[in-house]
Amino acid sequence: MSAPLEMTPDAAPEAVLEGAGGAAIEGRSLGRIAWLRLRRDKAAMGGLVVVVLLILIAIFGPFFVQNPNTYHANLINATFSRPNGPLGGISAAHPLGVEPITGRDMLARVVVGARYSLLIGFLATLLAVVIGAIMGVIAGYFGGWVDSVIARAMDIFLAFPLLVFAIALVGVIPGSAFGLSGNTLRVSLLVFIIGFFAWPYMGRIIRGQTLSLREREFVDAARSLGARGPYVMFRELLPNLVGPILVYATLLIPTNILFEAALDYLGVGLIPPTPSWGQMLSNAVTQGFYSVDPMYMIIPGVAIFITVMAFNLFGDGLRDAFDPRSR
Amino acid sequence: MNKEALYLMSRYRATGLAAVGAVVALVAAACGGSSGGSGGGSSGGSTSSSSSASGFNAAVNSTVNPSTHKGGTITYANSSAPDSTDAGNTYYAFNLNFTRLYATPLTTYKSCPGACGTSIVPALATTLGVASNGNKTWTYHLKSGVKFEDGQPVTSADVKYAVERTFDRAVLPNGPSYFATLLAGNAAKYPGPFKDKKGNLTAITTPNATTIVFNLNQPFADFNYVVAFPQTAPVPPNKDTGANYQQHPQSTGPYKFQSFQLNKQYTLVPNPEWNPAWDPQVKQLASKVVVNLNVNAADIDNRLLAGDIQMDQAGSGVQAAARARILSSSSLKASSDDPVNGFMWFYYINTKVPPLNNVHCRMAVEFAANKTNLQTAYGGPVAGGDIASTAMPPTVLGYTKFDFYHALTKPGGDAASAKQQLKLCGHPNGFSTNIAFRSDRPREVASSQALQASLNSVGIKTTLKGYTAANYYGTFAGVPNYVHSHQLGLLAGGWGPDWPDMYGWGWALFDGQAIVPAGNANISELNDAHVNSLFKTLEASSSQSTRNSISAQIDQQVMRDAVMLPAVYSKALLYRSPSLTNVSVNRYYGMYNYGILGTKG
Repeated sequence: MSAPLEMTPDAAPEAVLEGAGGAAIEGRSLGRIAWLRLRRDKAAMGGLVVVVLLILIAIFGPFFVQNPNTYHANLINATFSRPNGPLGGISAAHPLGVEPITGRDMLARVVVGARYSLLIGFLATLLAVVIGAIMGVIAGYFGGWVDSVIARAMDIFLAFPLLVFAIALVGVIPGSAFGLSGNTLRVSLLVFIIGFFAWPYMGRIIRGQTLSLREREFVDAARSLGARGPYVMFRELLPNLVGPILVYATLLIPTNILFEAALDYLGVGLIPPTPSWGQMLSNAVTQGFYSVDPMYMIIPGVAIFITVMAFNLFGDGLRDAFDPRSR
Repeated sequence: MNKEALYLMSRYRATGLAAVGAVVALVAAACGGSSGGSGGGSSGGSTSSSSSASGFNAAVNSTVNPSTHKGGTITYANSSAPDSTDAGNTYYAFNLNFTRLYATPLTTYKSCPGACGTSIVPALATTLGVASNGNKTWTYHLKSGVKFEDGQPVTSADVKYAVERTFDRAVLPNGPSYFATLLAGNAAKYPGPFKDKKGNLTAITTPNATTIVFNLNQPFADFNYVVAFPQTAPVPPNKDTGANYQQHPQSTGPYKFQSFQLNKQYTLVPNPEWNPAWDPQVKQLASKVVVNLNVNAADIDNRLLAGDIQMDQAGSGVQAAARARILSSSSLKASSDDPVNGFMWFYYINTKVPPLNNVHCRMAVEFAANKTNLQTAYGGPVAGGDIASTAMPPTVLGYTKFDFYHALTKPGGDAASAKQQLKLCGHPNGFSTNIAFRSDRPREVASSQALQASLNSVGIKTTLKGYTAANYYGTFAGVPNYVHSHQLGLLAGGWGPDWPDMYGWGWALFDGQAIVPAGNANISELNDAHVNSLFKTLEASSSQSTRNSISAQIDQQVMRDAVMLPAVYSKALLYRSPSLTNVSVNRYYGMYNYGILGTKG
């Protein structure tokens, strides 16, 4: 008869599984897993790099470029109202050329325009996420008539003729209101309009996620400990929803940037002479400059395209990374 | 005249952004902006007055494609809309031109190319007015047998009523205010027939059905010019619906309204009751005239060049993109004209909005503005015009050249003098004000930004405020109360002479009596007693050399008062559609004569 296994009293109680190479395998959080998966997705990493670059350009770029509002009459052929030289007047002093009629530096206008586009896109998304997440969690958790009311509200907001409302609102609000004026007021208005009407997008997703999450054991556990609705929603459910929130927020940003460009295009965006990509596109198309100076349309168009593409790629990659069922 | 010829950009804009694919396709397709093209447009054009001419500027001094061929449709497009299709409620030059198709005033301008186009000839009247009582009484006899489109005979009472209804500025805010100022009797207090159904204008008498007599409160040698405005085109009182009359005015001209959709389109068809003897200056050739409203300005140019439409109703020239195409292509250039159209583009400087009530602050604006950038914004030397330094254009009698604010010697702006003036007005670091402009006019959008940038460089901070052209004079800039309450210190404007001398150019702009509560053209609200008395002396004098010298004095005083920031003496690059017949520039309207057009197709 063999002796029983001897266990020294101070042996470590955790079992340490030995991997193939003898290295310890640590437990991974959801975030870490997602990051490792994301790192392998080249397109998403490319998108991330561009997004970071754009943010850096938006924050620091305006300090390194010329004044976007300085006219250069000597660079314009006054008879044709277009820049001298090919490709919209590209030269060493003006790497992206100049604007027709005014001769303002295109690089400066694109960089300063990036600041406003990204700022409004981010802030509007933040507003949409905050409202959408809260409403979604409430709707998903309580169910019943609360859910119905919120769901109908979402339907109404989704059906709203947003562009028409934006045009009307901007026309009605005077030059200064709520203690703000000029471009600050306009930016706030745009953020409000875009964000306030984009929350159902986030709300629906969060509501669906909440519906599935609220049946989990940890919710039952919290409730059995005496937790009430608000505690469960905001301290138990929401933290577990950070993943989807992050993903869909990233996917919402390009939509909002496009929206802001569309509003600028329609003339209800920033007040001139503030540069904005949508306004440059608008001038190029509606005044027919695209046939005289195509670069004036291509440059802001490409800027918008790159921004939207980068955010979309990154967002897609992020969603794939969080979703355990993909691949 | 009338306000300026419109060049307009529509309120309609395509939504959505250009997708990258479209961008790429357009790059491939549109890289044809070939360089070169001289673009130098002399307004002299062809010197021969042969009746059939062709080539660049051919229509300036002769008629292109003369023809009596009847039939076909002429399609106009406008990037905004007329201030009204009611002939008694309009002031835009293009509309004074166009309304002759359905409204016949007492007198009109001769339809002939070149300088003769500014001479006044009788229309509804048999002859020009017979003056008596030292040019204070004017008698006109109407042609006999004139009828409205429904067969109702036209009488002198209908002409009197047409003038009376324009006195109600609440219902009909547009249009000149000469009658209110010149007529004797109760004209100063008469509220119009909508409010006073029993009374009438005592200054106008109608001794019989074909005679009408105007009694003035001052001698006025130019009264034939005053009655050339379509405010004298007869209106039947029993069919006057006030503000809605514009939907179907009763025609006394070669065409009548077939349909009218507000802000979208109106269509005219030949008026069977019309007799060419009533107005020999217009013709009834095409069998349909369509006007499309609120079409994007660049779109109008594209359609015009493609042949889908035949005429841009606004008549103030093509936009930048079409200009480049036309001037770069010898075949397109041969179908275009670049007349000096007798207008000026400028900015009013209001004298009531602080701190511009101080003349030195206004002078600071005059010095600081970068005139070259303004000129480029209006279209450059070919399509915009020459830089202006006076308050009247060279085509108006009495013009003298002077340049108080260095517009010609320092076209990039004179910041040093501007700063000096700022010190004198007590704002050495600048001040803030607002710039009003018409947001559907690309050139004004560009010029107000240029003005903003140049004023910014001396510390004058401005905010841009855009308005629609159709309501600019009636509701916003032309309403002094609105201007004051919204602090509009600088306001974009354009003007053509009501008739070719200083009174016809400048009275409505600079005389204190011309200020009206709506539809105001003296937007600076200048009320300089010296200027006012000079205008009275001007009209009382019959010697042309005296009038010229008085005109120069008015011009210089106005510029010393710094109430106008002149930009350019306007030129317009117009495209002549090859399918049109009888195309000629009428020198008074500064654009093609719409009254005589026909079409080949």
